Amino acid sequence: MAVRDTLLANLSTSLSSTNVSTSSELPFTSAGVELYNKNMKKLYLDVDKNARTELFSTLDNNDVWQQEIIVNGYLTVDAKNEPTDIQTVVDTVVNSRLSVANCYLRECSVTNEYSDDRNTYTFEFRFLTI
Amino acid sequence: MAYIAVNSTGNFVALKINADGVDYDSNVSAAFVAGNANVMTVPALQEVTLNASPGTFRWQQLDNASELVVTTPSTNSVAVTLVMDDTTFFSNVAATPALVDIVNNKTKVYFRLGWQGLSSGDRFIQGKGYLTALAPTVSPGSPVWTTPITIEVDGEYTRGNVA
Repeated sequence: MAVRDTLLANLSTSLSSTNVSTSSELPFTSAGVELYNKNMKKLYLDVDKNARTELFSTLDNNDVWQQEIIVNGYLTVDAKNEPTDIQTVVDTVVNSRLSVANCYLRECSVTNEYSDDRNTYTFEFRFLTI
Repeated sequence: MAYIAVNSTGNFVALKINADGVDYDSNVSAAFVAGNANVMTVPALQEVTLNASPGTFRWQQLDNASELVVTTPSTNSVAVTLVMDDTTFFSNVAATPALVDIVNNKTKVYFRLGWQGLSSGDRFIQGKGYLTALAPTVSPGSPVWTTPITIEVDGEYTRGNVA
């Protein structure tokens, strides 16, 4: 099961009582506009990005590899009139990282960017597993 | 000048040990004859350091502008770090006990270190000694067990080529 699916399943429940909902669509661009800019107050998650990096190098090719999975999430809200529970929403999205099991590192960072009257939150989930 | 590279499959550093309880002191090579089921190959080595340090004794004389020196017996050891392998660490290889048991029981081991593998003709150095300095470690940022092990060498190294 992709990490994106796990996060979506968790968020669709945990955000149900907030002013923000989730979309199972990918954050693609339609007519030159990203879906998350078109459909504000909907959280979009991108597909898993995978990388294999070496945790331990050994002298006989018994190297220990770790898998790094990065998932980006996007949420745009009206900057002039943000949902009253936006901080709860952000905290909930960040905490959803804990729904992903079997990882020894589960991080999520949040950045935001203003464009006209829109405020776009970008979440970067990062998971490491052996 | 020919350097000793160990980065290709046939040239990987190889460390074999035999702790089957048989006395091979008079002929360590006998512990590693082809087909000996009691020989354990220690996998996943990360770092190998072979120490051969003759001791020295220095003194000064009033009739000499520089110190004089003689050698004293060598201190020999082989230090390795490795990623712990569940099999070799906790299971015996025929009559050779698991690594953790060798350390616990202070069992004498015979070892052979292949500089570039241990195929026919490859150079090796070998000897006997005791496994010490076992210190498995793991941490959240490094969640796989690794450990150093030192072979405190009893006596001299011998070297040769695999038959």
